[in-house]
Amino acid sequence: MKKSYRMLARSLAPLLAVSLSVASVGAHSQTTLNVISGGSQNMVDYVTDYLGPLFEKQNPGVKVSVVGVGPDDAGSQKILEKLQAQKTQPQWDVDVIVPNQQKTGEMAQAGLLMKYRDSIATGKYAVSQSSKLALGVNVDGYVMPMFESQTAMAYNPDLVKSPPSTYDELRAWTAKNPKQFGYNGLKNGMSGVAFVVGWMYAYSGSATALQQGPYDAAAKAGWSKAYADLKAFNQGVTFTPGNAGTLDMLNRGEIAMGPVWVDMFYTWKADGRLSPNLKLKLLSPGMPGQPYYYAIPAKAKNAELAKKFIALATSPQVQADGIVKRFNWYPGIDPNAVKSSLDPKAWANLFTDISPADLAKNGKPFPIAPFFTELREGYEKQVGN
Amino acid sequence: MQKRSAAIVPLALLSPALLMVVLLFVYPLLFSLAYAFRSEETGAWGLVNFEKAFSLYTNDILYTVFILVLATVLTGLFAVAIGGYLTLGENKRAVAILKWLYRWPLFIPMVVAGQLMRTFLAKNGMLNNALMSLGLLEPINAVSMLDWRGVVITFVWKQLPFAALLISGAMASMDRSMIESARNLGASRFRTLLEIVVPQVKASIAVSLILSFVTMLSALSVPMMVIAGSPTMITVDMAWRVNSYSDYGVANALGFISCAMSAVVAWFYLRQSVREQSRVVSK
Repeated sequence: MKKSYRMLARSLAPLLAVSLSVASVGAHSQTTLNVISGGSQNMVDYVTDYLGPLFEKQNPGVKVSVVGVGPDDAGSQKILEKLQAQKTQPQWDVDVIVPNQQKTGEMAQAGLLMKYRDSIATGKYAVSQSSKLALGVNVDGYVMPMFESQTAMAYNPDLVKSPPSTYDELRAWTAKNPKQFGYNGLKNGMSGVAFVVGWMYAYSGSATALQQGPYDAAAKAGWSKAYADLKAFNQGVTFTPGNAGTLDMLNRGEIAMGPVWVDMFYTWKADGRLSPNLKLKLLSPGMPGQPYYYAIPAKAKNAELAKKFIALATSPQVQADGIVKRFNWYPGIDPNAVKSSLDPKAWANLFTDISPADLAKNGKPFPIAPFFTELREGYEKQVGN
Repeated sequence: MQKRSAAIVPLALLSPALLMVVLLFVYPLLFSLAYAFRSEETGAWGLVNFEKAFSLYTNDILYTVFILVLATVLTGLFAVAIGGYLTLGENKRAVAILKWLYRWPLFIPMVVAGQLMRTFLAKNGMLNNALMSLGLLEPINAVSMLDWRGVVITFVWKQLPFAALLISGAMASMDRSMIESARNLGASRFRTLLEIVVPQVKASIAVSLILSFVTMLSALSVPMMVIAGSPTMITVDMAWRVNSYSDYGVANALGFISCAMSAVVAWFYLRQSVREQSRVVSK
């Protein structure tokens, strides 16, 4: 018995040696591009299934490795802390990051990002306001928007014949139909935060300052009425567990209306996870949306390759096929450049429920960073506690 | 010389483990406790973080205490009931089935339990649907239990096997002659459980409930997944402070508060064990 083991080992040893040397040769000729995504799972899948393989095909010998650290502030905070931890090192082990707006601003201020936009060919397509300002912080040149995302009210037309089109109408509707409107509070995902922000844009009286600044520490004193009204409004709503939770409850008929991310809504619908008759409506005077960015850490090891990767990701063709067609996001780069790379039907699909005019009028950014923090804390103190 | 080296060897052997505990556990713990008293903005030492924590999260702190106490009490009651039936049950088959069944939740991670309950306890979830199809519930009266009830149910479900395992183990190792004499003298099974069995396994019950309390206090995934909206438990608030505001100060203050809660429980535990020790010594 023992002898046969030894024989087996002897015959396997050369095989093992050969495979080891093959592996090490492979490792020598291969460069790994490290991507960290601070987005939800679909954004990680986007790189794993679509963008990564495409880039690998165009650049033989390169392997794209992507890690997802989770969505919203929580995920991007991890990226921020990782970069900060290796700040004194000559070379950092992350090449491309996909952070959210809030943390991108913080990273730019901390000097953790590389100014690269003007050195790539697609830099000229970065025309949106959000490609220059991230919640009031100047990020011009440091970022390319991956996509623009928008929140809107999803509703069940079987239960809601004429949906409210403003926050005022929503309040009247909720008073008549208690517990039929649901949102996920403040700590359970960004669609709930977006609803609260929209509320404050409607009732705080300082919507313009919130979005464009300048920051004024005294402004929050005037928000108490809006919070008190929201607290009263909350008595008649259903709270949902998270962004996905709102969609789940809509689908099970437990609520008739709730704020959701437009891209998630369309994707779930396309996957058959949502009833096909659900519809969207963008409330006036406006609900916020946000981009996600592509950025390069200041001392990225493979900076040139990272630029090439982002140039591909923000090319009109990839934005059309990947961002719009496959994932139902609004393009991050100049929409006119993308439109010509898409068939008209796919373009129209993106605007089924919300017209481009509505989007331009009622799609707002989130508040500038210092106001945003105060606005959320104000909610915790005056509405939550 | 020989004597000294004899003292050094065990110390040297112990030092890696000791160092590990000190570096990776004691140091970060003390660090976070101390930094609860340091303002992130000004760097000054004081109670700023606690003032903020209480002004924002008083409800959540009380809510956490309420949930934990209720869940611990229920866990204790059910665990004693299960242990009692395993010890005193007369139907061999029922005892065997219960013994096989009750441990299952032990092998399910907290986050999975949270995910299960999220769909199980929803308004049109499996529980309500089952009750409706049995005709026990009118659809119009169905309510979602995704609030404190959901968390208590999840915690009890998850911690029950752990507590029951410890308690039934203690019950099984008891001297059965007292149980049998009580039964022979005509005590009902319920009375035997309360007056003969439970007093003898009091220490095990206390230990299992204290450990359950601390485990539940530290759970983040369950309240995060099950509770919709606010109030919520302070673990969620801690994560929120760090993730949304990069504010470790208030998060540390909330951590300090939760350490204080477990310290209260630990004090009861220590007092109990010291008493028992002294009883043994005085005998």
